[in-house]
Amino acid sequence: MTPLLEVRNLKKHFPVRGGLLRRVVAQVRAVDGVSFSLAAGQTLGLVGESGCGKSTLGRAILQLQRPTSGEVLLDGTELTTLDPRGLHAMRRSMQIIFQDPYASLSPRRTVAQTIREPLEVHGIGTPAERERRVEELLGVVGMRTAVMDRYPHEFSGGQRQRIGIARALALDPKLIVADEPVSALDVSVRAQVLNLIARLQREMGIAFLFISHDLSVVEHVSDRVGVMYLGRIVEMAPAQELYRQPRHPYTEALLSAVPVPDPTRKARRIVLGGDVPSPMNPPPGCPFHLRCPKVMETCRSVTPPVVEVGTSGASHQVACHLHA
Amino acid sequence: MTETTTRRQSLWSKAAWKLRRDRFGMLGLAVVAAYFLAAVGVWLGLWATGWGDVAGGKWEAPSAAHWFGTNLIGQDIFQRSIYSISTAFEIGLVVAVLSTLLGAVLGAVAGFFSGRATDELVVWLMGVLDSIPFYLLVAAIAFALEGNPWSMHVAMISTFWITTARLVRGEVIKLKGLEFVEAAHAIGVPEYTIIFRHILPNTFHILLVQSTITFVAAIKSEVILSFLGLGVKDGMSWGLMISESTFEVLAGFFNNFLAASVLMFGLVMAFSIFSDALQDALDPRQVS
Amino acid sequence: MSGEPILSVRDLVVEFRTEHGTVRAVDRVSFDVFPNETVGLVGESGCGKTVTGLAILGLIPNPPGRIASGSIRLAGRELVGLPEGELRKLRGREMAMIFQEPMTALNPVFTIGSQMIDILRRYKGLSRGQARAAAIELLAKVGIPAPAQRIDEYPHQLSGGMRQRVVIAMALSCDPKLIVADEPTTALDVTTQAQVLEQIVRLQQEFRMAMILVTHDLGVVAETCQRALVMYCGRVAEKADIAPLFAHPRHPYTAGLLQSLPRVGQQAHQDLPVIPGMVPDLLDLPAGCRFAERCARRDARCDRELPELDGEADSPSRVACFHPL
Repeated sequence: MTPLLEVRNLKKHFPVRGGLLRRVVAQVRAVDGVSFSLAAGQTLGLVGESGCGKSTLGRAILQLQRPTSGEVLLDGTELTTLDPRGLHAMRRSMQIIFQDPYASLSPRRTVAQTIREPLEVHGIGTPAERERRVEELLGVVGMRTAVMDRYPHEFSGGQRQRIGIARALALDPKLIVADEPVSALDVSVRAQVLNLIARLQREMGIAFLFISHDLSVVEHVSDRVGVMYLGRIVEMAPAQELYRQPRHPYTEALLSAVPVPDPTRKARRIVLGGDVPSPMNPPPGCPFHLRCPKVMETCRSVTPPVVEVGTSGASHQVACHLHA
Repeated sequence: MTETTTRRQSLWSKAAWKLRRDRFGMLGLAVVAAYFLAAVGVWLGLWATGWGDVAGGKWEAPSAAHWFGTNLIGQDIFQRSIYSISTAFEIGLVVAVLSTLLGAVLGAVAGFFSGRATDELVVWLMGVLDSIPFYLLVAAIAFALEGNPWSMHVAMISTFWITTARLVRGEVIKLKGLEFVEAAHAIGVPEYTIIFRHILPNTFHILLVQSTITFVAAIKSEVILSFLGLGVKDGMSWGLMISESTFEVLAGFFNNFLAASVLMFGLVMAFSIFSDALQDALDPRQVS
Repeated sequence: MSGEPILSVRDLVVEFRTEHGTVRAVDRVSFDVFPNETVGLVGESGCGKTVTGLAILGLIPNPPGRIASGSIRLAGRELVGLPEGELRKLRGREMAMIFQEPMTALNPVFTIGSQMIDILRRYKGLSRGQARAAAIELLAKVGIPAPAQRIDEYPHQLSGGMRQRVVIAMALSCDPKLIVADEPTTALDVTTQAQVLEQIVRLQQEFRMAMILVTHDLGVVAETCQRALVMYCGRVAEKADIAPLFAHPRHPYTAGLLQSLPRVGQQAHQDLPVIPGMVPDLLDLPAGCRFAERCARRDARCDRELPELDGEADSPSRVACFHPL
């Protein structure tokens, strides 16, 4: 089966300008050589801490920020070299859901205007058909059609997130990048929205790239999970396998750091020293070696290659000298 | 699933609520409204129709016939000063609306394409226009347009848009990083549609406040420009009245000067107070 | 817990005036905090947990807010009604607050050292040299590496986790009896959160302080607190020791919250049990139980009457529900 999305050695560097002549003095390597593929109807979870490049990766895939180098193939079409017209057509196949339900909707547009806009931009249907489609979409995300003429400020965070999801669904995309879609929501509403996303995937066969800092949420929704650190994926495996048998020391530490709502399970916690280094001058060798509890001599100078360590048939990749 | 909406108030209704509680601001608005009614009456020909007629003798004292007395050639000062209200509103409205529009469009386009050539061009233009002394620019435009009655308006608009554009540009740079703009990009909405449909409506509070400030600035500038002979060509204005009154003041006759300056002071003051109140009410940092 | 409580809150009511009327953000909340224990205030946004914390420190912005009634006693001394000057003195010496966003507590134009030295000189009467030494010692205690160098840096030179440690060091600088920590690790990354939480627990034991931890994260509560109050719509829904609270929650809301959490290594790919509906508007509260509309155990009585906490005031486990689990 050919994958729906294939990302090859994707890089996104941001130039840092300085000095009198505003010359480029450094590069922030936000995404630094990421490769993976995602099959139709599957969910790939991406976890990592702030600044690891996971949000930039999502935007670089959607060409909202044009990548510095590498390839992104959606349904066999290479997006990074596409002209504006071709890209416009491809936007029907890929959409995004955002983190902040208060910033993601135009404050001065009604619910109907917001959800209808993608249909108008791509010239889909007659005005009457669009109206019906908006009603249908509101039903899909669990809202009454009576809300169509209301403005975003009249809704709670969870409801706004539903409206944003309806907008993303309007074009029947094959891929949705969900960038921290539940992080800003309260616990009881979070579960409602997670269930909605899971249902959409089951019923509509949409592939999700689910980006989050919250490991428990990612595990809940994902088929496969990739762990990012300093712009790279350091480990990627089927969700259950990653959580049961993490191979990368960073994954282990990340998993052990999650506070567990169970007072009887006092954690055997791996507390990492120090902070994430700046992506402006990442350390040589393995990006994690400055904080790694299992650091070896080679880690300081040699970048670990990605190796396959899967035992159960499914692919389990890790970039660590311990497994090289 | 419940869909009961929360009672979260919009920025506008909150602002209106705050504005209504601001007594000075509301007083200012009432005074401005009274002036505006006076101007409407002039436009409809209800009063001050005899502003150009010679209706009495030279420098008559205030009386029942001539409330503020008469000027050097026997014209009624009261009618002239009331008529000038309509001139002030004409100039204020035209300049405020057009310079706000210009500032909004150029500022939004510059902000949206910040760092690119379009932005550099607009920023350069603002810098150049800012560096020319205002009255020199007005004189140059007046000279270039040779007696055109709109030269004063053109001169004011060509400088007043700059402040609005700067503010809008800054706000747009902030707004274009927000997720709803990213969402529009992701949908494939064309760039100029994003600017005018999604971004500019969210700078409306700035435009509203800026247009009131520009209105006041235009009225004040008119007085100085007319006094210098660069302003109103036909018709009557407070600036022309003050210009006329220079000889009269030297001769000890103050009615013309007082009528024009007190009325102007009242309007400018009331409008400024209202403008401040509006700004306070719309300030998102205070509205939260 | 034995002995006298450090903090004793009784029937606290905090109200805010809005353009649509008065909102009761905290409604007759009572609890005690004993020395050397950490009490969690848990709930979703708008439940009144943060307002309760602010009220204890006398930090309710007035207007629009005010403590309408109730009592807050710190080591036997009544704080409600105390003049602002007195409260300010107490905030330095007897109690301190740690906020979610460390930058709100740090002045960006001064070095962290000069800010800490100021506090130490003002409240402890130390000389400049003594204060500097004490500040370095405190920074070392909260786990800042190379404190003697770091003390001369500006807040923006530190990472988020380091800043929060500095804020904790500042809060500790006068040996307060009580610390109120409002979502102290919510803005931090998971691994940094783990570091800071561990530090907080260690310091709380070392300094034998009482601490109130305000958070929405049940995981954080489970790992740091001995007791917790679950709040909903300004009222205490349930109050219990940590172990029974998580093992056998009695309020349907607590139970629903715990079930709706996705957990690492469990229940993958099934729908999460959800609490239906949403939190009611504080301006438009139901007459009866505030959770009734979302509750599976609701009956006619729940719609009529507002349940109070059951049991004795000092019993370890209390719940405000007519039909507890």
